[in-house]
Amino acid sequence: MGTRQIIVPLSGRIDSGNAAATERQILEQLGPGEAVSPVLDAEKLEYISSAGLRVILHLKKRNPGLRITNVSSQVYEILEMTGFTEMMPVEKAWKVVSVEGCEVIGEGFKGRVYRIDRDTVVKTYKNADALEEIRHEREVARLALILGVPTAISYDVVRVGDSYGSVFELLNARSFAKILAEEPERMDWCVKEYVDLLKKVHSIVVPRGKLPSGKEQALIFVRRVKECLPEGYGDKLERMVQEIPESDHMIHGDYHTKNIVLSGDEVLLIDMDTLAVGDPIFELEQMYNSYLGFSAYNPQIVKDFQGFDRETAEAFWKKSLRAYLNTADEGKAEAAEERIRCISYADLIDWKRRYSDLADEEDRETLALWTRELIRLLDKVDSLDLRPFMEERAGGDELEVEASGGNLARVQAFVEECLKTAGCSLKTQMHIGVAVEEIFMNIAEYAYAPGKGSAIVRVEVSGSPAAAVITFIDRGTPYDPLARTDPDVSLPAEEREIGGLGVFMTKKLMDDVAYEYRDGQNILTLKKQL
Amino acid sequence: MLNIRRNAENGKALFALEGRLDTVTAPDLEQALKETLEGVTELTLDMEKLEYISSAGLRVLLAAQKKMNKQGKMKLIRVGETILEIFEVTGFNEILTVE
Repeated sequence: MGTRQIIVPLSGRIDSGNAAATERQILEQLGPGEAVSPVLDAEKLEYISSAGLRVILHLKKRNPGLRITNVSSQVYEILEMTGFTEMMPVEKAWKVVSVEGCEVIGEGFKGRVYRIDRDTVVKTYKNADALEEIRHEREVARLALILGVPTAISYDVVRVGDSYGSVFELLNARSFAKILAEEPERMDWCVKEYVDLLKKVHSIVVPRGKLPSGKEQALIFVRRVKECLPEGYGDKLERMVQEIPESDHMIHGDYHTKNIVLSGDEVLLIDMDTLAVGDPIFELEQMYNSYLGFSAYNPQIVKDFQGFDRETAEAFWKKSLRAYLNTADEGKAEAAEERIRCISYADLIDWKRRYSDLADEEDRETLALWTRELIRLLDKVDSLDLRPFMEERAGGDELEVEASGGNLARVQAFVEECLKTAGCSLKTQMHIGVAVEEIFMNIAEYAYAPGKGSAIVRVEVSGSPAAAVITFIDRGTPYDPLARTDPDVSLPAEEREIGGLGVFMTKKLMDDVAYEYRDGQNILTLKKQL
Repeated sequence: MLNIRRNAENGKALFALEGRLDTVTAPDLEQALKETLEGVTELTLDMEKLEYISSAGLRVLLAAQKKMNKQGKMKLIRVGETILEIFEVTGFNEILTVE
């Protein structure tokens, strides 16, 4: 710090005719010394040529903290084309939008959403310096979209009163909260879509450094909460959070039914500003809070926020958790929930202490309730690992297709999709791809020849470290491909035979390949450590 | 999906392969080679962007190698690590010239 900010207005045209004079004028205004951060206010700048750009380069060299603000779209285009927007902070002049008298279509913790015309909404922010936040949200939403999350992206940033807003296309969408409130009979459908999308988000691996770590964020509030817990309890909680492995998988960070919307038949995820990476427990703890944690003392809170009552919230949470864990085992689901709630309560306690002065009776009672619950759980829980309670889908995922070469791409895509959640390397993916291709093509070409028939492909991923078991079943002619002698791979090209290579590669690339003929079925099993 | 870019002149041919060389796409490469190799004495396959190869792909490479053994030379350049491993497992690194 310690640098002085000096605003220098630019106006009209800067080209070879006046570049030198402009530079002199600017330097005069900046005065001597480098401890100055010049801000070039380009509000009245109409045009800048390469001579003018060189002036900016000189300034940037002299004062590396240089910024340009209020840039019109024509000038912005020049700066963008010439790479200047990458070299220094350049802020566009914002279009000014008034929301006076506009319909409020949503209200959240941070601001309001207004509908400004037939197909446009503006999401405003309460804090005057919301620009950083808007930028962050736009950036992570774009990243999420690129990585495959169905979401809405704002297409402009505008000035609204003293603050800023981001502009979105109005989605003809209904939130899951609304659907649950208005059509409770669709609960099970909502649970399925909600959990499917959640698993999709969690299956995405995010390049390092792009998103904050959920674990780091949790450690911050856990450390702050320590002082409200009896001796030893806080340390135990911190240690258990510390033991949760780091993960590169995406988490949303605010995954509740108001942020999941149905637009046409597409389920979209919105409000991406909390996006992070981490173990699923850091997502689940916030989900628990949205449905049950916040309203633990006063059930009305969830009704006011989500629009459905606490019974619905509880049913939705319980069903979603079981679907996410893939378990029908009550004991397992409850044990997982106890682990999740340890982080939930710490999060809530920290939040209440930071945002409430506790002058209110209800606030104090709520805080006391959360603290009691957390202490009770910490007496019981010794680990925050959720993996022991997650089950693979019974029998794994299965695909039945006609055994024909034309279906190879479908089979490959299916297997890849099944392995995605396990996060296996490209190399392993290719090895499995090669084996799947060989086995499936063998069935396609020989099992039913000259007739036709179907093949079942089953993928199961289990264990830790994870291993995949891929099973191929057909009802064709009994045939053991493994019985074939391996080709001699030391022969020169001229003597090499073309046959048998595929099965040989499969044996080499997989950890285990087994064949059996049972109940009229050829069953071939591949195993590979992921 | 296999993208084949080919360039042939003065008896030299360069094939740049991009994508997957599998059961589905191997016939495309086979056809492209067949159309081009007449009179070629030096065949280079650029494998930089090849992501996947299965035995069907290896068969086409083997056939090309056999043909080029009769009329000149064939070499593979910029072979990625995963593809190279497949060559090693199958002994293809011994019959192909990999640079």
